[in-house]
Amino acid sequence: MADMILEIRHLSKSFGSHQVLKDIDFTVSQGDVTAIIGASGSGKSTLLRCINLLETPTSGEILFHGKDMTGPGVNAPEYRSHVGMVFQSFNLFANMSVLKNCMVGQMKVLKRNKDDARQTALRYLQQVGMAPYINAKPRQLSGGQKQRVAIARALAMGPEVLLFDEPTSALDPEMVGEVLSVMQDLAAQGMTMLVVTHEMAFARDVSTQVVYMNEGVICEQGPPAQVLGDPQRQETKNFLSRFRSS
Amino acid sequence: MNVFSKLIYDIGRLWGKYWGSYLNGVKNTLILAVVATAIGVVIGLVCGILNTIPCSKNDPLPKRVLLKVVRFIVRAYVEIFRGTPMVLQAVFIYYGLPYFSNNALRFSSVWAAAILVVSINTGAYMAESVRGGIISVDPGQTEGAMAIGMNHFQTMVNVILPQAFRNIIPQIGNNFIINIKDTSVMFIISFTEFFAFHQYITGVNNLYFPSAAIEMVGYLTMTLIASFLLRALEKRLDGSDNYELVSEDQLVMAAGTYNHPDKGTPFDERSKEYREKARQELKYGRTRGDR
Repeated sequence: MADMILEIRHLSKSFGSHQVLKDIDFTVSQGDVTAIIGASGSGKSTLLRCINLLETPTSGEILFHGKDMTGPGVNAPEYRSHVGMVFQSFNLFANMSVLKNCMVGQMKVLKRNKDDARQTALRYLQQVGMAPYINAKPRQLSGGQKQRVAIARALAMGPEVLLFDEPTSALDPEMVGEVLSVMQDLAAQGMTMLVVTHEMAFARDVSTQVVYMNEGVICEQGPPAQVLGDPQRQETKNFLSRFRSS
Repeated sequence: MNVFSKLIYDIGRLWGKYWGSYLNGVKNTLILAVVATAIGVVIGLVCGILNTIPCSKNDPLPKRVLLKVVRFIVRAYVEIFRGTPMVLQAVFIYYGLPYFSNNALRFSSVWAAAILVVSINTGAYMAESVRGGIISVDPGQTEGAMAIGMNHFQTMVNVILPQAFRNIIPQIGNNFIINIKDTSVMFIISFTEFFAFHQYITGVNNLYFPSAAIEMVGYLTMTLIASFLLRALEKRLDGSDNYELVSEDQLVMAAGTYNHPDKGTPFDERSKEYREKARQELKYGRTRGDR
């Protein structure tokens, strides 16, 4: 069995009296591409943000290589540097050029020297096809370009697992393809990824496991052919039928 | 004699005799204002970092208590120094120190006292401006920085404060200009800046109005130059609207990018021709054959 990277155990999260996540359980192994699907408000993004500790889980455990990351005394920044995240709204640093965006984390967090950081940044920018734009500021780029830079920024940190929070939801339809193809390449290279997405085709073709969430619980999970092709639960069928008809 | 020619004559007389003292006053005022504003901005930035340290229930108790204490101190500092007149603060600090220490401690130079008082006063105002500047930066920037593993200090210094700083430059300008003028209250601890010379000179020869006229022009000149320089700094920080693609095959890679037309060309939205054309179009509609 492949090396287990992340284990989510009995994870719950409440905002006040509103329980957003209820007793979530699943595991991510080396090389897995997990697609998390579900309607808006079902807790997909919150789950991802909890995994990255951007939200503090109310209860439950997040085991990273077997070590619990939710307890007191955990070095959250150190953990986050191993778990990359790509946001729906890109969140590129507005005060830096594209190249600097991909270098600053390596230099400040990983303490790499400038030349190494530059080389690594250029390599990943090349991979996502953004190398010619190293001098541009984020505000000068299109949405798809920004998202590709954001992916390069996350990759430059050498993460063990990459979290994508609806990476294509804020993009125009013609830009969705360029971002998805970058993600597809990553999957082919064996990157471990967790992708919250509404792109069913991506979930079907690229992912190795699909998690369907409904109202804060995992309703159904398994290989894409099973969850998407032959769903067992009525909720899953209803959700998927909306995508089929469109 | 005409009043105005008399005024000009008096001003000329004063300037001819005391121009060195006036200029010396200008110099002292400017040094005090620049140094105190700079230190004040640094104090403001530090308060901004301290005020925004995140605190979650998972943190150990001592850390949470410490954070509460730090926040209380910053808050008290801001409220006290923002809420009392600078003249009184000067008196309190300059005369209070020897009073409480039985003359064992006193300021060796009036410069140190003046810079201290104006700095901490400016710092109190800047702390609030910086707080506003930090709030104005998109929270996504913080999340982006945290997601690549930066801690609070690294996030602030590398990502948030540079953007907040850009946003509060107008506020810094405000404070700088206020400092140029308000350092005049430092005469209370016998700091000889621009306005103090006015008091000294008029004490000698009773030419109140002509001297005040010189002061007015002097202060206005200083503040105008200050606002001009700050505008220039703002522009510089905004950087260029353009960027160069780094590639041999520019035609292919340039797809989907937009370079702003050069300044002054008819296609530049800021040029006179473009605006005139737009205005005409609004008024009469687009002329035929224009496309």
